[in-house]
Amino acid sequence: MSPFFTRGLPTRRVAIAVLTMTALLACNRGGDAEGKPVVALVMKTLNNQFFIDMEAGARSVADSLGLELIVQAPEREIDVEKQMQIVENLLQRKIRVLALVPSGSKEIVPAVLKANAAQVPVITVDTRVDAATLKAANGTVATFIGSDNVDGGRIAGAFIAELLKGKGTVAVLEGIPGHETGDARLRGFRESMQANSGLSIVASQTANWERDQAFNVMQNMLQAHADIGAVFACNDVMALGAVEAIAAAGRTASIRVVGFDAQDDARKAVTEQRMAGTIAQNPREMGRLAMLTAARLLKGEAVAAEQPVPIALIK
Amino acid sequence: MNTSRVSVRLSVIRSREAGTAAGLLLLCLALWIASPFFATLDNLRNVAEQSALIGIIAIGMTFVILIGGIDLSVGSLVALTGVVLALALHNNVPVPLAIGVGVAAGVAGGVVNGVLVTAGRLPPFIATLGMMSVARGAALLLSDGRPVSGFSDTFRGMATGRLAGIPLPVVAMLALYAIAHVVLTRTVLGRYTYAIGGNEEASALSGIAVGRYKIIAYALSGASAACCATLLVARLNSAQPIAGIGYELDAIAAVVIGGTSLLGGSGSVMGTLIGALIMSVLRNGLNLLGVTSYVQQIAIGVVIVTAVLVDLALHRRAQRHPVS
Repeated sequence: MSPFFTRGLPTRRVAIAVLTMTALLACNRGGDAEGKPVVALVMKTLNNQFFIDMEAGARSVADSLGLELIVQAPEREIDVEKQMQIVENLLQRKIRVLALVPSGSKEIVPAVLKANAAQVPVITVDTRVDAATLKAANGTVATFIGSDNVDGGRIAGAFIAELLKGKGTVAVLEGIPGHETGDARLRGFRESMQANSGLSIVASQTANWERDQAFNVMQNMLQAHADIGAVFACNDVMALGAVEAIAAAGRTASIRVVGFDAQDDARKAVTEQRMAGTIAQNPREMGRLAMLTAARLLKGEAVAAEQPVPIALIK
Repeated sequence: MNTSRVSVRLSVIRSREAGTAAGLLLLCLALWIASPFFATLDNLRNVAEQSALIGIIAIGMTFVILIGGIDLSVGSLVALTGVVLALALHNNVPVPLAIGVGVAAGVAGGVVNGVLVTAGRLPPFIATLGMMSVARGAALLLSDGRPVSGFSDTFRGMATGRLAGIPLPVVAMLALYAIAHVVLTRTVLGRYTYAIGGNEEASALSGIAVGRYKIIAYALSGASAACCATLLVARLNSAQPIAGIGYELDAIAAVVIGGTSLLGGSGSVMGTLIGALIMSVLRNGLNLLGVTSYVQQIAIGVVIVTAVLVDLALHRRAQRHPVS
């Protein structure tokens, strides 16, 4: 290092480097030292209540199962490439089981293959890996734990049909286009709309999962369509934005809103009758089941290929 | 570099690179002590591979920042050129030609940026912010909002293949850096890029076609985005219209950590390479140590700000003691 210092490297830089080093060393707590098998839970993001609940579910049992749990996620929910990097890095860290919520069903396949090559079993949670792509690449996944978003969309559709008594017009707030979760909910919802000849979708636009965008999109839809009877939003965040826009237009009495995810705010809105209903998944249970499954895989026990977590309509 | 010809400015650049490299070495040393998994051949290969995507975009970004601009559109251009490339491949266009089409799309986007900045006299921030939105929309429109997936093994080999044990994306990155380094230090284009970024008015008065060189810089940035997109699509075996969000900021961070001044006129592409490596090593290390992503974001932010603080301190020092 001396050549650098002879140039008169500022002491500040050295001080900063030493600080970084100390901080990194401080980060290296425990880990394999206790000899516990390390299990990773890699999710889509950590800034969404759904995944925070999933982590809480996993943490609630990890200790008692004797697992060392590492939870990681990319900064952005849709950043598959970053998720792949996390998986690659964790495989270097010699994790024993990988529980994964794929950011992209097809795109994550190369990462699954790397886990396969390292003989680390993969548990997929909430979002599936695309079966055809996985098969074509000769990859394997030990099990899928989660709810069926298509089914959730169907349940929401059937509920709206019931609310409108099989007759009326419906507006839809979609998630980010090309995003599997939203697309699946939408598919299920459209299916049940098509099954009801009296119902028609008059407007279907994306609000990119966001509340403020949902407010604006809903406002525009309300301007364009005087006869909307119900709104289906692919998540609660957008549903709540729509509720505000409908209230601002003074049409709360005539428009019923159904969301998805059953977040706390949405449950409250349903109780207060500002929303008609929301579809509940159970991320906490998904996280818990993922750890139970990891423990079983480590003992060499067989696990079912599909472990469904029930969906419920909150109304 | 021949030391007898080193100007005052170049000597500052060199000391900056040395400082950044020292930072990278110290970071590696710290991780080597902190994690038994860091200093393995496999892991280092991983880190190099992971730095390739942002590393490549950061080459074009270095040109743009050196010339006194900024390019916010590269993340969206990654998505757009990726989709263009993927659609070409799906329409049975041969691999090299399809990559060419993708790069051409990137260059076109960059040229539009450059023309808006020069002929249109728009601030680069605004011009490229517009392109950021246009390119994203175009990517969604072309792909109908869906990922375009599934390519031949030949194409995917670009991400999975190795040359003498080195992953091909790393080979590509290093080759592009070598070319960019030669262009910036040994050619008229490079000299003018520094000159324009250092003092645009003086450059114009001395007869340099400022507009042309600016357009070239943005075109190179678009081309870098397309090269990145090629590797990204091969890596994920899929072109996503929502890919590349935030890449522009990672690329700017790599450039800035690498010691290139956001004011233009000073810096180097080799510094950028070290900057990109620092970001990957840091992310990799934090993953290995099992640090949560909240803390990772804090750590990366701290490193960016620290790098610039140090850079400014060096700059002031250099001004006080012109010949260090």
